[in-house]
Amino acid sequence: MGGRGGDGLTRRELLRYGGQGSAAIVLGSVLAACGSSGSSSGSSAAPSGSAAASGTPKRGGTLTFARSVAPTQLDPANSIIAGDVYTLDKIFEPLFITNPAGQLIPWLAQSYTTSADHLTWTFQLRPGVKFSDGTPLTADDVAFSIEREAANSSGPLSFLDFAVKKVTAQGTSTVVVTLSQPWAPFLSDISVFANAILPKNFGGKSESAFFTHPVGTGPFLLDTLTPDSNLTLKRNPGYWQSGKPYLDSVTINYVTDDNQRVLQLSGGQAQLIDSVPPANVASLQAKPGFVVKKYPAWQVDLLVFNEKLPQFADRHVRRAITYAINRPALVAATSFGTAQAGGSFFPPSLQYYAADTPVLAYSVADAKAELAQSKYPNGFSTSLLISGGVQKWSEFAQIIQQQLAAINIKVQIKSLDHAAFESTFQKLDYDMFIDYAINDISDPDEMASFEVDVKNGGSQSYWSNYDNPQAIALVHQAEAEFDDAQRASLYAQIQSIVAQDAPFVPLDYPPYIYAYASNVKGLAVNPGGAYRLEDVWLA
Amino acid sequence: MRRSYVARRIVFALLVVVGVTLVTFLLMHVVPGDPARAVLGEHATPAAVAALRRQWDLGEPLPQQLGHFVVGLMTLRLGDSYFYKTPVASLIGDRIGLTAALVALATVFAVVIAVPLATVAAARRDRAADHATRAVTVAGLGMPSFWFGIVLIEIFALRLHVLPVGGDGTGLGGGLQSLILPSLTAALAIVPLLVRSLRVGMIEVLDSDYVATARAKGLREPRVLIRHAARNAVIPTVTLLGLNIAYLVGSTVVVEQVFALNGLGSLLLDSIVNRDFPVVQAITLVLAASVVIINLLTDLLAARLDPRIRLR
Repeated sequence: MGGRGGDGLTRRELLRYGGQGSAAIVLGSVLAACGSSGSSSGSSAAPSGSAAASGTPKRGGTLTFARSVAPTQLDPANSIIAGDVYTLDKIFEPLFITNPAGQLIPWLAQSYTTSADHLTWTFQLRPGVKFSDGTPLTADDVAFSIEREAANSSGPLSFLDFAVKKVTAQGTSTVVVTLSQPWAPFLSDISVFANAILPKNFGGKSESAFFTHPVGTGPFLLDTLTPDSNLTLKRNPGYWQSGKPYLDSVTINYVTDDNQRVLQLSGGQAQLIDSVPPANVASLQAKPGFVVKKYPAWQVDLLVFNEKLPQFADRHVRRAITYAINRPALVAATSFGTAQAGGSFFPPSLQYYAADTPVLAYSVADAKAELAQSKYPNGFSTSLLISGGVQKWSEFAQIIQQQLAAINIKVQIKSLDHAAFESTFQKLDYDMFIDYAINDISDPDEMASFEVDVKNGGSQSYWSNYDNPQAIALVHQAEAEFDDAQRASLYAQIQSIVAQDAPFVPLDYPPYIYAYASNVKGLAVNPGGAYRLEDVWLA
Repeated sequence: MRRSYVARRIVFALLVVVGVTLVTFLLMHVVPGDPARAVLGEHATPAAVAALRRQWDLGEPLPQQLGHFVVGLMTLRLGDSYFYKTPVASLIGDRIGLTAALVALATVFAVVIAVPLATVAAARRDRAADHATRAVTVAGLGMPSFWFGIVLIEIFALRLHVLPVGGDGTGLGGGLQSLILPSLTAALAIVPLLVRSLRVGMIEVLDSDYVATARAKGLREPRVLIRHAARNAVIPTVTLLGLNIAYLVGSTVVVEQVFALNGLGSLLLDSIVNRDFPVVQAITLVLAASVVIINLLTDLLAARLDPRIRLR
């Protein structure tokens, strides 16, 4: 749950799970398997997974993408809004990435090994990778980039590198990372865009000059960038996946208005749009020549309680409210069939999501019984804070207001503009608020510690002040546990405790929704929100 | 035109600009919302947030921040954007042309549509044409301008494919094409008011003694309308148009958003959401100054056209 962006609907990226094979990646042994697949040649290590393309990819053409968020600048170590993050990841690449299926796969690294104490990680770089200026990628570049991010005290995601003690180059293609403590999420952490690889010392340029004309190993080069407006990317002819990217160039126009994006697609002015409003999904799907696609996201919409207040410090009250909210009905009424009703505080797309988490399912009788056991058996009045101007939040708030009236809890809805909303709930100056939580990386540690570890997680348990020492201990245990089955069990316990304590109500799991003209092929989006354009082609 | 009149108007205009700028500064700093948090993200440590706030002088007491701001303005230093990390002046420079063109084209559309309608309605008072014009303008008053925008897009972009749905367009031709629907949308928002006021103005003129005299001299009706009535109706038109151009400048915020135009209005909106103080302050200053200048010019023009105003 990195920062949010300007328009409040932003976010950054990363990798993640994918069913069976996922956890294996963390283990040294399986690691080798990863490595071997890509060891012979760059192009064999396949790319972004399920490109789902039909037919043989055609080379050429320009893709015009009308996008809801705009780029501001392109420094990986200092970016957090989606407009920046999913632009710079076309230019710069990390050692590992998460593919669209949610699996962590080797990218600029080809393989790795880890020492028995899990403190030393050794990466072999993929051979034949060059920066877009023709300079070969070396271990020195990797050491420079990861150390720069780890040392960046104001880096929005540099906390992910807190365990990195030292990064050293051994020769040109081996990188050794020394950690200060055994850290299971490490591989996932270095795959975050913030750890993308730049040329050492910015290739001799000044930092600001470098990021104006960035040089990376990615499939595209920056052609033009007008802040808060548009940018164009052109093919990196020396890209290490030979034959890719298929597109000659990509134009990304910033179109903040939902309706205008849909109209630009319908009118043929854009071939691809993001953040399709759920209300428009059915009508776009019905139009010949267009495709609408949903991609699972590491995102959960939460109703959060302020446990600094006596009514919400009362576990019975929180449980009563959770029981009283009919999540399937809420989702049915608002998402037009696009989202899935909430249960666990982990989204189903996240590694170690436990489908059998004992959630407090909708029951007015159970809600009343819980409230009767609380210090507020006759109900009370409270308020619900939302970010204004977003239809979904106001619909959620009104439905929750109605549903809680059934147990005699009177809710007043308070709406603030996004920046004011954020600084208000972050000061814990609220009763209840609704917001969305996301994970940036494939490992669930980020979400677990951010929402559960009240002292060290960075957000006072998502600004709820929820404090359960048992859950916190389990989070730390999972961070140092390298056995996949063990981690799965630890995270299942954490999800179960949180579901029963009800510090927040996971309302729903919304997907990323994209729509495109039917001649656009090969688009896929990973659960962190990254869309890989090197696989896209125009039929 | 008396010099003191002009000088008084200019001083007053400057005061308005200063007032708007100060109110914006105070509002932006008093409402909650922290740009440092927005730039650094949710995981930022309090130390990192505090460091960035110090870098931006946001840690100081408000009067001191105001002091820096005023000194910056006096020396014409607008500062750097928090988000784009580029000089505010260049951000504005990149976009001001589009917004100016939008307002100019909207003004042209407004005049071209409103003047003939008002003339016909006034000349054919209480007849079918007049009733139709009045009914349409009343209906137009009740409709939000973005709705006109959507209807125009539906007709000209999606059905007829003659104009783009939105966006900036490339080159001079593309740029102009992309401005047609937005400026028409903005113009349609003020046309009803303009038509109604002009119609009343013209009717007053047509009822006046000198028009009766002109008719009594046996002049033909078109000549009466053009040489006598229209000339005198120009004065209230100019004043009215000046006021409405100010309204158009404000409406660019919505129109640019609806049509995905990257002008000052859309940048202003994004910068308010991001709490990008330097950009908000600079754009407000530019918009306030242009509104004041337009009003000043209309007042001076009206004074030039109408000797009675000069004496005041």
